Amino acid sequence: MSDELNINKKRKNQIKTKSSAASGRGETDIDYVRPAELPEQDLYHGHSFITKWIFCQDAKVIGVQYTLTAVFTGVVGLILSWMMRMQLGYPDLFPFLTAETYYQMVTMHGMIMVVYLLTALFLGGFGNYLIPLMVGARDMVFPYVNMISFWMFFVAVVVLMASFFVPGGPTGSGWTLYPPQAILEGTPGSGYGILLMLISLSLFVIGFTMGGLNYVITILQARTRGMSLMRMPLTIWGIFTATVLALLAFPALLVSSIMMTLDKVLETSFFMPTIIKAGEALSYDGGSPILFQHLFWFFGHPEVYIVALPAFGIVSDLISVHSRKNIFGYRMMVWAIVGIGALSFFVWAHHMYVSGMSPWFGFFFATTTLIIAVPTALKVYNWILTLWRGNIRINTVMLFCLGFIVTFVNGGITGIFLGNVAVDVPLSDTYFVIAHFHMVMGIAPLMVIFGAIYHWFPLVTGRFLDEKLGKLHFWITFLGAYSIYFPMHYLGFIGVPRRYFEMYDSPYMTSAVGMNEFISLAAFIVGAAQFIFFYNLVKSLRLGKPAGKNPWKANSLEWLTPDVPPTHGNWGEKLPVVHRWAYDYGVPGAKEDYIPQTTAPSEVKDAEVEKT
Amino acid sequence: MAETKKDQTSTHKIGIYLWIWGLLFVLSFFSYMVDWYNFQGLLRWSLILFFMFLKAGLIMAFFMHLFWERYALVNVLLWPMTAIACFVGLMVAEGKYTVFSRLFYFFVGGA
Amino acid sequence: MSDLNLDKLPGGFKGMSEDIGSDQTTFKGVNWGKAMMWIFLLSDTFVFSCFLVAYMKVRASVVEPWPYPSEVFALEMFGVPVPLLLIAIMTFVLITSSGTMALAVKYGYEKNRKMCGWFVLLTAIGGLTFVGMQAFEWSKLIFHDGVRPWGNPFGAEQFGAFFFMITGFHGTHVSIGVIFLFIFARKVFRGDFDTGRRGYFTTMKSDYVAIEILGLYWHFVDLVWVFIFAFFYLW
Repeated sequence: MSDELNINKKRKNQIKTKSSAASGRGETDIDYVRPAELPEQDLYHGHSFITKWIFCQDAKVIGVQYTLTAVFTGVVGLILSWMMRMQLGYPDLFPFLTAETYYQMVTMHGMIMVVYLLTALFLGGFGNYLIPLMVGARDMVFPYVNMISFWMFFVAVVVLMASFFVPGGPTGSGWTLYPPQAILEGTPGSGYGILLMLISLSLFVIGFTMGGLNYVITILQARTRGMSLMRMPLTIWGIFTATVLALLAFPALLVSSIMMTLDKVLETSFFMPTIIKAGEALSYDGGSPILFQHLFWFFGHPEVYIVALPAFGIVSDLISVHSRKNIFGYRMMVWAIVGIGALSFFVWAHHMYVSGMSPWFGFFFATTTLIIAVPTALKVYNWILTLWRGNIRINTVMLFCLGFIVTFVNGGITGIFLGNVAVDVPLSDTYFVIAHFHMVMGIAPLMVIFGAIYHWFPLVTGRFLDEKLGKLHFWITFLGAYSIYFPMHYLGFIGVPRRYFEMYDSPYMTSAVGMNEFISLAAFIVGAAQFIFFYNLVKSLRLGKPAGKNPWKANSLEWLTPDVPPTHGNWGEKLPVVHRWAYDYGVPGAKEDYIPQTTAPSEVKDAEVEKT
Repeated sequence: MAETKKDQTSTHKIGIYLWIWGLLFVLSFFSYMVDWYNFQGLLRWSLILFFMFLKAGLIMAFFMHLFWERYALVNVLLWPMTAIACFVGLMVAEGKYTVFSRLFYFFVGGA
Repeated sequence: MSDLNLDKLPGGFKGMSEDIGSDQTTFKGVNWGKAMMWIFLLSDTFVFSCFLVAYMKVRASVVEPWPYPSEVFALEMFGVPVPLLLIAIMTFVLITSSGTMALAVKYGYEKNRKMCGWFVLLTAIGGLTFVGMQAFEWSKLIFHDGVRPWGNPFGAEQFGAFFFMITGFHGTHVSIGVIFLFIFARKVFRGDFDTGRRGYFTTMKSDYVAIEILGLYWHFVDLVWVFIFAFFYLW
């Protein structure tokens, strides 16, 4: 920052000397950017089909590969959720849905959606595609490692999917995989299913670490000239912070996976207490099940923000571009992202209020949890203030952004309920919790993903997605998702427990039956609406309206490449030089309503730009 | 690969490495002696931790050159340790609570 | 190419704020590979911390007595049990190899091919000795003392489980390090780092900074051993 100040001081001095000497030399000096510290990156250009499209080292191709794989697993997760809703809405109607299969679906749906869809899509997909472009690098710093990262992820997905086909089926212990039940007989998939799940997770962690190191180092060490951290688009800030969280949180998942694998295979007793089964003691003795919960949530809570922070970042950019206004409180947004990221390591046990942990922890974790609401709320205010009096384009992208704000606020507020111990105790393990986390980390990030795909599809393919289909997709998804999750809050309040296969003749039934049916119908419709989106993707790939260069009139670097879509190496002959932040929209005095990041100050002398 | 014009990696005299090397041996010897003389209780704990952190610090600072790195890198590496410290602290409390509840409900009996 | 001169940049916290506020790089003068290794080690620190935290939590909450490591790991010398003798030697070997690695890095900086290569090779041999002694230690525990991951004759059964898991994970790190040390010793002697020969897989140019990166990894392995030594053997 003081570097900036020095430059500003230098500028002022130069202007002074210029006016006194009355020479034109100052012209070049207000555009001064420090010369390059690093030589040009050495890239490997693939020649064959295999090195260009399959074992490819280009971050953009890897990003698309990640996206496609993640979306594929997402479709599997979607189908699983349909089957769950079939059972819940119409119990006993489908004979192939037994209690065992139901638990297996719950587990696989949860794990797929959180880890293999959202994490992989935001960090692997958007991260790979956007980071080098947005910071002005030719590629990730270690393209080879990046390639391995994707293939590790691919193997992890294959192992995960294989667990559908092994004897006993996939694990049915819930996505949290709590021992002791996860590996004890009687839980569906306690044989091969859980083993494959643990192996798949370990592979995912290893693969992700390779990718994550790339993202972090590219952002920290390979930015282009003039691109300071405080000029980066918020998308990059979100992905960056989420990646750091992932690098520090996934170890806990890896460790707990390894330990549970040993408990399963070698009958060690890390997590397994003394257990009497049918009058006989099992070989386990003295382990600590709650330790697993601590390890899991030490990973699990940062994981929530690994999903949320990239969404925060991306939505900030989308809102700013499509309301033609700079993001309100850019620095506050950055600090909020960093603050949320740091705090997320100190809140994990709010998932465990009813687990039987030390009762003193409730106070500590309730406090930290409520503190984390502060930066989150700041971000919401800033999004709304960005929209305020903006020149808003109501297109599909903006609709999804607005949908995000609404669903996120809704889910966030229920989070404050659940963060308080006294309120959480009656609500925990009810549908209220389901409603909360689906709103806040299911629907809200998905809204951003859709918005982001509508926004960046023209960059990736050179063609727009169809607006009409897009709006149809949005309205069905948004209203449908609300009709799914809003009634669930009510179900939670009347005490319907989560993860129950059916309610049998419990007193909840009378009031919950109709509502469950309604939710199921909405879920079928919303799920089906996603196929409109897939149709739109395929159709627009060939027949979409050609987008040309920078169709949204955006400022950030990814739109300023010489070729659209960008080619390997991104920037052609010369790397771009950055002179400003990515948010100079609607600047008074400027000719256009946007000033790209590469525009030098001397080109827009009359514009009243903010100093960034 | 990234490389700056001036060769940044200033070399250090061999003496400093030998000194640290020797110190590590001495410290390891001391921590071994803690066991040899069979110190117990708080003294054992504090001595073990003291020698451990001293050794770890020496390795990081000199063998891994952290002492000569710029503060940006040093701070990025050291601050995340607060998360671990928090985790350790809470797990100490949790371990005590678990053993308390095990003994209490086993011998005294609970609800 | 660059006007970056590290000696001219301010140091301390002022330097830190300038580095973070500047464009292009945040860690001034730090090679990409070195930065990546540091961040990887940070992540790996979390892995080992989680292992050790889990060990601490379980050890604190088992009701059965924890075996006394001083006796379990004693070695008979001339009929007298010497506590932790093998562990002391292993520590000695690992610190020695850490020292030779530090010297290898120093000679790498100076682009002294011969000395650098010999010290890398020496480090590799030290690491190999360590792994060998660990194999001896494991086999003694398994075949002689009857310690198994699922139980042991001394007390709480988690003792064996944590011992094999944590030292096994550390040993894996050492073994991977040894393999890379041998590969890099060959590369140094072949002169890859002087000619900038391209890597077989990555197609990246070789540079002496690779020795420093490998050194960071190796010192980290030593660092982890310091913690394992304190928490597992002395506690």
